[in-house]
Amino acid sequence: MPISILPPAVQVPIHDDAAAEDSDIEMSDDENDFAPTSKKSSHNIVTPGETITTDPQWMRGHGTYIPPSSTTIISTVAGTLHKTNKLLSVQPLRARYNPEIGDLVIGRIVSVQTKKWSVDIAGPMLASLPLSAINLPGGILRRRTAVDELNIRTFFSEGDLLVAEVQSLHSDGSASLHTRSLKYGKLRNGMFTALSGAGGGILSRRGGIVRSRRQVFTLQTASGEISVILGVNGYIFVSKHTEGKEGKETSITKLEESVSETLYSSQNDELDPGILKEIARVSTLIKGLVACGTKVDEDMIVRVYETAVDMEAEQVSMGEKLIDTAGGPKGVVQSVLARLQGGS
Amino acid sequence: MPREVEVSVNERAFIQQALQENVRLDGRAFDAFRPLELTFGDEYGVADVQLGKTRVIARISVDVTAPLPERKFDGIFQIVAEFSPMASPAFEVGRPTDAEVILSRILEKAIRRSNALDTESLCIIAGLKCFALRADVHIIDHDGGLIDASCIAVMAALQHFRRPDVVVEGEKATILSVREREPIPLSILHQPLCVTFSCYEDGERILIDANLAEEQVRQEEVIVTMNRHGEVCQVAKYGGATVEPLALLNCINMASQKVKEISKFIQTKLEEDAKKRDAGGLMAELSAENER
Amino acid sequence: MPLDTSIYPLALLRLDGRRWNELRRIHAQVSVQAAADGSSYLEMGNTRVICVVLGPAEGKDKGQRGAREGEAKVGVEIAVAGFSGMERRRRVGNKRTSEMQHCLSTAFSSLLFTHLYPHSTISISIHILSQDGSLLAACLNAATLALIDAGIPMSDYLTACTVASSASSSSSDTATSDPLLDLNGLEEQELPFLTIGAVGEKVSVLMLETRVRMERVEGMLAVGVEGCKRVRAILDGVVRTYEKKFG
Repeated sequence: MPISILPPAVQVPIHDDAAAEDSDIEMSDDENDFAPTSKKSSHNIVTPGETITTDPQWMRGHGTYIPPSSTTIISTVAGTLHKTNKLLSVQPLRARYNPEIGDLVIGRIVSVQTKKWSVDIAGPMLASLPLSAINLPGGILRRRTAVDELNIRTFFSEGDLLVAEVQSLHSDGSASLHTRSLKYGKLRNGMFTALSGAGGGILSRRGGIVRSRRQVFTLQTASGEISVILGVNGYIFVSKHTEGKEGKETSITKLEESVSETLYSSQNDELDPGILKEIARVSTLIKGLVACGTKVDEDMIVRVYETAVDMEAEQVSMGEKLIDTAGGPKGVVQSVLARLQGGS
Repeated sequence: MPREVEVSVNERAFIQQALQENVRLDGRAFDAFRPLELTFGDEYGVADVQLGKTRVIARISVDVTAPLPERKFDGIFQIVAEFSPMASPAFEVGRPTDAEVILSRILEKAIRRSNALDTESLCIIAGLKCFALRADVHIIDHDGGLIDASCIAVMAALQHFRRPDVVVEGEKATILSVREREPIPLSILHQPLCVTFSCYEDGERILIDANLAEEQVRQEEVIVTMNRHGEVCQVAKYGGATVEPLALLNCINMASQKVKEISKFIQTKLEEDAKKRDAGGLMAELSAENER
Repeated sequence: MPLDTSIYPLALLRLDGRRWNELRRIHAQVSVQAAADGSSYLEMGNTRVICVVLGPAEGKDKGQRGAREGEAKVGVEIAVAGFSGMERRRRVGNKRTSEMQHCLSTAFSSLLFTHLYPHSTISISIHILSQDGSLLAACLNAATLALIDAGIPMSDYLTACTVASSASSSSSDTATSDPLLDLNGLEEQELPFLTIGAVGEKVSVLMLETRVRMERVEGMLAVGVEGCKRVRAILDGVVRTYEKKFG
């Protein structure tokens, strides 16, 4: 006797914006054998356990596995299927950040050891930043000394934020960072935002921060320039733009002056309220962009930011409510995006 | 936190290789228990079980208390199983490990929740007085198979135990001492016994009664509790490797055979012990138990 | 004993009007918690759980690193809300929850590809908001969804459901013993039942806590595996709907 399992009887309407899309899940009574591959949705979405192919000519990449003694390639994550020549890989929709060499990341110092720092970069493990991989003060690129080891806390101490690059990966996948460039180093005068749970995820969705685009840029605002750093790991830092840090090219002779005491200072400068407001605006907009599943890059941020400023000015002059502040960052960005689409 | 000494990499490989060649470390068949020893103490309700090198002592004690307000007609029965550092350096007092929680949960489900002991018979005066029975399980030596051994020990001790008789006159209950009246056995409804199966090679090879080294190498365990009447009292398979449903049914069939064998073994041991105690043949006369 | 009285054999309808092979309504959402790496909310009838996955991340305490060398540790915490049951309780079933935690931890350690994340910890925390039977099954299903949401590789969905045997355990007449699928709280108290967690056709979790004739188990297992397949289809639908929104 074949056993048939009945689906839940009534579909009570789900008060969720997904309700409309829910109806396409077929739950017919006669569906005795559920074949995972039977439902092919539009653009190559696969879920764990789904057979991608049984053809042995394909090679398996990330997000797939081949059960022992077979040639079937099966997906292990829920995401989109990518084909690179003969390589099949599945990019998960959301996943924690997994470091790769050359990534620009923002991190937070978790602990200080004798010759290195442990840095939280939202990856599976803490990254390490060796003392030898930072720019030591005192000008010329020099070797680290025992004095530097003793003074390790004066460079970075627990809780400090920094921007760095992934220099190498260990065999277990943990990353080693470096800040040996004037672009990198300690962060201050700004606001940190973690797009939590979306470390690598925001990259792999259709939207999110785009790797290899310009991730450090400045934004012109009414109250002055602010700089935005988009870490690949989902950490974002928006701060007041400081001259000489990354703006103009620093020659090697001037290095001595640049790597001054202020580089490792933890003291924030006096910021005027105008710029603080703009910083908060930018970071809220970025949060909202991610929540809407939109691409986050320099171009997008600039456009959204300018529209948001315009809309606020209109709101003040016309007295009518244009920006939906009740919906949090997502609501704000949705109303801005609606305006953008309407205008263009 | 002290940890169990793990088997080394080559030991692990050796055990696995041997299993592939259908050989167990100690030369047993896959479905064979280690030599089982059961001895009873001088007092009623003490059972000492030795399963290979594993040794477990269970002791039953009784007290008179007020029953729980929500269960007025039932006596109280609890099983206390704690790991002591005596058995293995990995055990620590006061911090229950996963294995300890699992052992007490399994014993609880196998014996208490399956109603092996008729707790109503422990009631003296409804809502006022009842017997509180307590089974203490002591692990003396740990070489795997703790759950099986503990379950045998508790069941044997329960069957061996005699509680003092009581005389009830209205609201007044008198506990008669052992000298006044021969104590009476507990009313046991059925005898659940546990059989632990260890699976290797994704459920391809299934062993009964693994020793410590085999336990550390196994992918998962399936604990089946049955009685000799062919009723399954409890099955626990906590994740681990996946197995075919058919293999699980085989386990249950195998367990039912093993349980019958062990029940018979306990029964003969109980009879031997009774014969020893009944030196003068006076037991039948002294007994206050009614023929049912 | 509402189920063993004459009502069930006559109409073949259960207390809540379902037939023997009918699941309760399953409603699930993923990504319900923005701060987590992965999260899910699951309703199986009136049983409601929220599951949050953090990690793989560096473990909190350095001493307790990965369970085995080169593999991530799967830590599970289950919190039972005091208002979840019929009576308000301050601490609910301490040993029972730790048994469930152990069960989830071992089940997912072998399901997930933990070898990809050595030295790290994947922590699953589950909050039980409302209990109405099939609790362990709901926890397993919710955790599966949350882990998928977190993008942690696994070999397949682990889905679970409960199956009961409807006649009382004493009668050995197999003809009258209908298996019942997906029990609610009342049925769970009346009938011998088992919780089964399946990965494809194979069984990963099996918990039977009440006395039942051994002949009955076979039928219950068969229905359970089919039930798990149906649950898998529903959960798969949930994941796909979500993917369409963000994919």
